[in-house]
Amino acid sequence: MRLLKQNIEKKTGAGTATLLPEEPEDMWHAYNLIRPNDLLRASAVRKVVTESGSGSRSNERVHTMLTIRVTKLDFDPQAAQLHVSGRVAEENKVVKLGAFHTLDLELQRNFVLEKSEGWDSVALDMLKEAINQDAKAQLWAVIMKEGLANICLVTDHQTILRQRIETTLPRKRAGSTDHDKQLQKFFQITFDSLLRQIDLANPIPLLLASPAFTATQFQQFMKNQAASGNAKQLNGILAKTTVAQAASGHLHSLSEVLASPAVTSKLSDTKFARETQLVDRFFELMRKEDARAWYGPRECEHAVAQGAVGKGGGVLLISNGLFRSQEMEVRKRWVLLVDDVKGQGGEVRVLSSMHESGRRLESLGGIAVILTYPIEDLDELVGDGDEEDAPEMDQMNGDIARPNGVEGCVEHEDIDFL
Amino acid sequence: MQRVKNLGYDEDEPYDDEDDVYEEEADPGYTAEDKDNFAALTPVVRAELEEAGVQASDKDIGDSLWHYYWDVDKSASYLKNSRTPRTQQQGAKKEDKPKAKSKFDEAAQKSAEKAADWFRDVPWTHIPPEMEGRIVPEEPAMPMPKLLGGSSKLAKLAEERREKAAAAANVAQIPAPNGVLSSLDRLSKPQDTKENDTPQPKAEPKKYPIRKKREPTPPPKEPTPPPPEPEEEKPDLRASPTGFGRTLASSQLSGHRAASMTLKDMLGSEITEDPFKGPSPDDTVLRAQQHSKGLTNTSKTKQSSTNGLAKKTEALKLGENTPSAPAQPKVRSRGLDVPKLWAEEKSKRKASAAFVVIGHVDHGKSTLMGRLLLDAGAVSQRDVDRYQKQATELGKSSFALAWVMDTGTEERERGVTVDIAQHHFSTDSVAFTILDAPGHRDFVPNMIGGASMADLAVLVVDANQLESGMKGQTREHVLLAKAVGLKRIVVAVNKLDSTAPNAWSQDMFQEVKGNVVKFLGESGFAKEDVMVVPCSGLSGENVAKAPEASGPAAWVAETDLTLLKALEQSVPSEVSGDALKRPLRMQVADVFRGGITNPLSVSGRMTAGNAQAADAVLVQPSGETAAVRGVEVNGEPRDYAVAGQICTLHLTDIDPIHIRSGDVVCSAAQPVSVVTSFLAKIEALDSLLPQSVDVHLGRLHVAGNISQLVATVDTKGETLKKKPRMVKAGQTALLKVTVEDDVPVEDGETVVLRAQGGTVGFGTIERTSA
Repeated sequence: MRLLKQNIEKKTGAGTATLLPEEPEDMWHAYNLIRPNDLLRASAVRKVVTESGSGSRSNERVHTMLTIRVTKLDFDPQAAQLHVSGRVAEENKVVKLGAFHTLDLELQRNFVLEKSEGWDSVALDMLKEAINQDAKAQLWAVIMKEGLANICLVTDHQTILRQRIETTLPRKRAGSTDHDKQLQKFFQITFDSLLRQIDLANPIPLLLASPAFTATQFQQFMKNQAASGNAKQLNGILAKTTVAQAASGHLHSLSEVLASPAVTSKLSDTKFARETQLVDRFFELMRKEDARAWYGPRECEHAVAQGAVGKGGGVLLISNGLFRSQEMEVRKRWVLLVDDVKGQGGEVRVLSSMHESGRRLESLGGIAVILTYPIEDLDELVGDGDEEDAPEMDQMNGDIARPNGVEGCVEHEDIDFL
Repeated sequence: MQRVKNLGYDEDEPYDDEDDVYEEEADPGYTAEDKDNFAALTPVVRAELEEAGVQASDKDIGDSLWHYYWDVDKSASYLKNSRTPRTQQQGAKKEDKPKAKSKFDEAAQKSAEKAADWFRDVPWTHIPPEMEGRIVPEEPAMPMPKLLGGSSKLAKLAEERREKAAAAANVAQIPAPNGVLSSLDRLSKPQDTKENDTPQPKAEPKKYPIRKKREPTPPPKEPTPPPPEPEEEKPDLRASPTGFGRTLASSQLSGHRAASMTLKDMLGSEITEDPFKGPSPDDTVLRAQQHSKGLTNTSKTKQSSTNGLAKKTEALKLGENTPSAPAQPKVRSRGLDVPKLWAEEKSKRKASAAFVVIGHVDHGKSTLMGRLLLDAGAVSQRDVDRYQKQATELGKSSFALAWVMDTGTEERERGVTVDIAQHHFSTDSVAFTILDAPGHRDFVPNMIGGASMADLAVLVVDANQLESGMKGQTREHVLLAKAVGLKRIVVAVNKLDSTAPNAWSQDMFQEVKGNVVKFLGESGFAKEDVMVVPCSGLSGENVAKAPEASGPAAWVAETDLTLLKALEQSVPSEVSGDALKRPLRMQVADVFRGGITNPLSVSGRMTAGNAQAADAVLVQPSGETAAVRGVEVNGEPRDYAVAGQICTLHLTDIDPIHIRSGDVVCSAAQPVSVVTSFLAKIEALDSLLPQSVDVHLGRLHVAGNISQLVATVDTKGETLKKKPRMVKAGQTALLKVTVEDDVPVEDGETVVLRAQGGTVGFGTIERTSA
């Protein structure tokens, strides 16, 4: 994403930013930047019905610039499309004020964003991250086991499951070669699907991960295919292929694969690897029953209030899903928390809810802290009577359980952390 | 051929000409044996003919012999019959047609000698339509040789017909020259066009059907000697109109047989008999089946009435009452009262048990089982020798016995078991099923699937490497065996032949035994359910046979049982009759192609209920119905299978895409519920947080989440703490688990949770809720 123009006042946060999305990933950033109630100005195609004096009507499609006040966002990660609905906030000759319109943000078409409550620190960080041009790590990952393959694209901010291949493999049985045959067929299907997804001309690293030797077998299969068929292009990918061990063929094993030293040494140190390491560290502390690791909104707020997430190792892990709340109050609460931690000198990590590490965090309620000093029985301090936490957790997990992680459907309307 | 005949019928000696051609073409078909037969039988026939005063050429005799399959009497009588009437007929014909013949005959003779000559000026492709001749085989033109075996009665009939035909020829004088013309016009173009202009052909078709009707009067099945046909042809051919007219006039039946012939067909050497005249073999079979179908239908009604009587059991009702029993017409239900039969046959039946072989990788599980099968006689020494040879070629000679179980190519190449291997053998008293589990940590999911199908476990421990095993999969497998509900365990302390410093060290065995028994006790196995035996899988001591009294392992015979004996003693009691009466439940362990007759088969352990052929079943979670086509237990077809057995069901009426391993085949009336989340009481082996886990339900392996830590509970099930921050290792807790896919589960099923390649918890499902 490119920042074409901005006039944001540091103090108040008022002002606008003109942005130009250049690649699909930018839609994800836009999705995180644009909040309900914001003012968004972008080009639109609008059907205009004109009625002549005699009463005959004529339809016309008019290209126009529209400014809307956002009411709803709809993000489709598979297609990397963002649809923003809202009411027209600035009248022009084709639309009336208050008319509804849905803007489809498009690549290479700039839009102007103005925050309703001003640009807060989190929004500015997000903007910075969005316009950061150098960190563009991407890789294809195939997490597989015999009979199951998940082909996904891992970018800095998202893990997009592009295709899931599931076939039934007969078990081994004496005197039958069905298993081997079907396995080859399964590899062929996976291979074909992979080729359809990846861009052969411009290869990016490919990671094959599986328990046991399925991934190795698949790599061999790819090599054989390269040797027999369209070799030149495939060789580019084969050179960039890494094979790793995964605990299972399911997608959630990806996080541990990405964190494994075998992979991090080969792939550049990317954002997701760092995030994964942090989440791992948190889980490790939890496992050791270290009282420095806590999760859950109340506990974290309490810990931050006590100043335990400060200099010297204090880390706040927060899922960006929380900032996507429809309600201004809820968002403000988290922004405040983030600012608090930053003020204390702690580290804040906003984890992408579209990443495996972010998903793991979301199962903990979307927020976790690593404290600088242990606080025993923080949950007791917070109190036991927080019955309303349960439905909220369910809500979050309901989202996570969705295999494709279609983020656009996630509505945090009824999340109430109070 | 056909054309040759058409032309030849008017000749003085049409048979000779025709036979000439026929012979020429058929000759290559005669084998040396045939020729011998000709030589031997021709004189005999000739003698008989001479007795009757009939003259016949060698060729004719040979022909008739050929057609009658060397039956001298029949061919002789045929020749007699055929010779006598012909002269009369020919005489009549000669009178009828005074001229036009000479020219025609010439052409016919010429063409008969070489059919190809006709087409001298005909282009090979793009034949102008006026040149195209269409030849339509007549129905009785060439009956199949099947109709052989003529009798005097038949000959009489044929004669009668011939006379009639002759009379008809007299009457129909106009068509006769026309027929000649039409034959001729095929030879020369201008004539053809002329002929098409004449109105006469129009009249012909009218006449034609009449004659046609008459011809088939002899019942088609009646045996007719083939050679008389040419004579019958005469009237037909004479009247034969152009192809177009023929097609118009022909009835539907013959119409669709009016296939045009290609040039090749005419020049080719094929005999122009209609191969499709009689009923095809398929037709005959179909007709036979139809008859038998009537039979099955009647017996079917009987069957259902007996079913009505035997409606006592629920299981039977399932099979009969469900509306979705599409296989009913295909598979006949025998309507067995399975629980009753099962109880009745109890005394006749051997005890049976399935055991899963568990233990750390490379502790010799597969080899030990290979040895057990070899010594129990379930695998021949020859097979093992073959494996030995192949394994030696790969440089892995010590793996030969393991190859009995490890049949996969990957497994053999890498020398590691990947998936559960299933094998049956039986001793005098017990029928065993071996489930050989993989020991490698990457294949623990497969081991869970295998363990969930077993009645007892055999833990194989390498006496020399107890420590590594206890850190690794020996521990995990034991816990998993416990988790899936196995009560009895036989510990085989393996590789005692290679203990250091001296083999078969009794102290070593006692030490290992002590450690293992202690660990099993801690894991929750009762002392009386644990048996420990020393053995060596590779050398075979104390597996099926006790070691020799003189060797270093002599002490074993005095103190311990052989592995096989220990297994026989550990066989658990049979499943109670109640389990049989419950609705059918069977988790699919494998979906495969059972063979040509059974394109879709599933195998697995039946956990409840029973199944027999023609039962309607439901596959969950797909919710597709299927019908049981057949049942196999231990690789043998059975009438039924019951709970507790590892069986194979052959299914029909379902697409294979609806069945995956891990699915549940259940009764259609009371299907298993399909959920995406459930409440489970989990014993934590590692600290549990709300996190993603792999959820194992027997063979089923899905990704899931611990979405909520509901409460920690104590052993009595009383709540200790609601909403704990985390569940520590060793604690028991109620957890809400959500899974990514729909899973078929029931309350009380065992569930195993794994994360990052290790087992983190196991327990039972408390409540399934949507």
